Amino acid sequence: MNIQEYISSGIVESYVLGLADETDRAEFEQYCITHPEVKAARIAFETELEQFALVHATPAPAAVRAAVMEQVAGSVAAVAEPAPARVAGIRPWVRTLAAAAVILFIGSAILNIYYYNKYRESSQAYDRLLAQQTNLAKNNNLLQTRLESSRQTIAMLSNPNMKMIKMAGNAVPAKGSPDTSSMAMVYWDMQSKDVYLMVHHLPQPAADKQYQLWAIVNGQPVDAGVFDMPDTSGMMKMKNVPEAQLFAVTLEEKGGSAVPKGPMYVLGKT
Amino acid sequence: MKNRDEAAFAYLYDHYSGALYNIILQVLNDTELASDVLQEVFVNIWRKISMYDAGKGRLFTWMLNIARNASIDTLRSKTYQDSRKNQSIEDNVDVLRPGDNTQLGIDTIGLRKVLEKLKDEQRRLIELAYFKGYTHEEIAGLEQIPLGTVKTRIRNALIQLRAYLK
Repeated sequence: MNIQEYISSGIVESYVLGLADETDRAEFEQYCITHPEVKAARIAFETELEQFALVHATPAPAAVRAAVMEQVAGSVAAVAEPAPARVAGIRPWVRTLAAAAVILFIGSAILNIYYYNKYRESSQAYDRLLAQQTNLAKNNNLLQTRLESSRQTIAMLSNPNMKMIKMAGNAVPAKGSPDTSSMAMVYWDMQSKDVYLMVHHLPQPAADKQYQLWAIVNGQPVDAGVFDMPDTSGMMKMKNVPEAQLFAVTLEEKGGSAVPKGPMYVLGKT
Repeated sequence: MKNRDEAAFAYLYDHYSGALYNIILQVLNDTELASDVLQEVFVNIWRKISMYDAGKGRLFTWMLNIARNASIDTLRSKTYQDSRKNQSIEDNVDVLRPGDNTQLGIDTIGLRKVLEKLKDEQRRLIELAYFKGYTHEEIAGLEQIPLGTVKTRIRNALIQLRAYLK
């Protein structure tokens, strides 16, 4: 818009007389700063208006002047002092508040980073501890199992009814044991007739073979169960044997045999 | 003036009180109320002088607007009270025409006298906007004319009014 058109649009009069709306007021004040001719036009109208008002003044009642001066004089101490202080004081106060807010914000951001790192460290440490704990629990279970098996072994060994039969490789007659150093023990509860086997030394069998314990009753071998080579030197519960004169271990096909066919490794008398 | 020098303030009062009293009277049409408002206006000028921004206008313009706003505020509360006794505000607007002021004789002075030279339509708009303090939106609703038209007509009326000030 042409600035002269703007000046003569009535905005000057409407601004000065307080009839312009917010948008127009802001725009006009901006024009007054950027365009000296707009400001000059404003001052020209203001001067005209003031002159007109002064010429057409109506003398105010004398009582008003006295009342005003009295109120003003009375307010000098009370109002005059705090007012400038308040206006001057607003900015430093706001500045202080803003500064405090910025410091708080930065502080909070730093704390956030600090605590996030802490959290990550703790979280990793927690995971490590959890893994450790699981491991310990596993070990503990294993130890418990071993302890239990050892306890059972001890209980059996200390059982006065338990008969201990030593089966040795060099006791095997005829062709003899394939490994004469072989040795195993049978623990036979004379009350319950339960049989437990403990292997001290036997060669590791081929994958398709399994050792089998026999009870020899009146010259006839009776199956007392097959067994795998134990991981530990624990006791293995075998079949119940009511009566026997001899115990022997042969190597048979996997799953065992009705009658002994394979070579005898150990033999022991009851 | 900003030093709150009482002597300077007394000078300001002596120089401008008549001009401001005149504008207050023109809005309120009541000498007793106008005296009260004038007193209030000058006490406010004294208190708020530190808020006066010379970059936005002359001191007289600032004081004139304080006086006009205070008058309209008083008119509003007075009109509100009157309307409770009589009828609606809208009726009051129609009743309050320049002719009413002859009872007080103040239409022969100041802006209102100049107002009489305007066309009826323009005079009515200035009356509503400047002397009654209606917003452009309120006038648009009251007169059943578009908002943009209200703004343009008021501006044209003001330009016309200014020509008659001289």
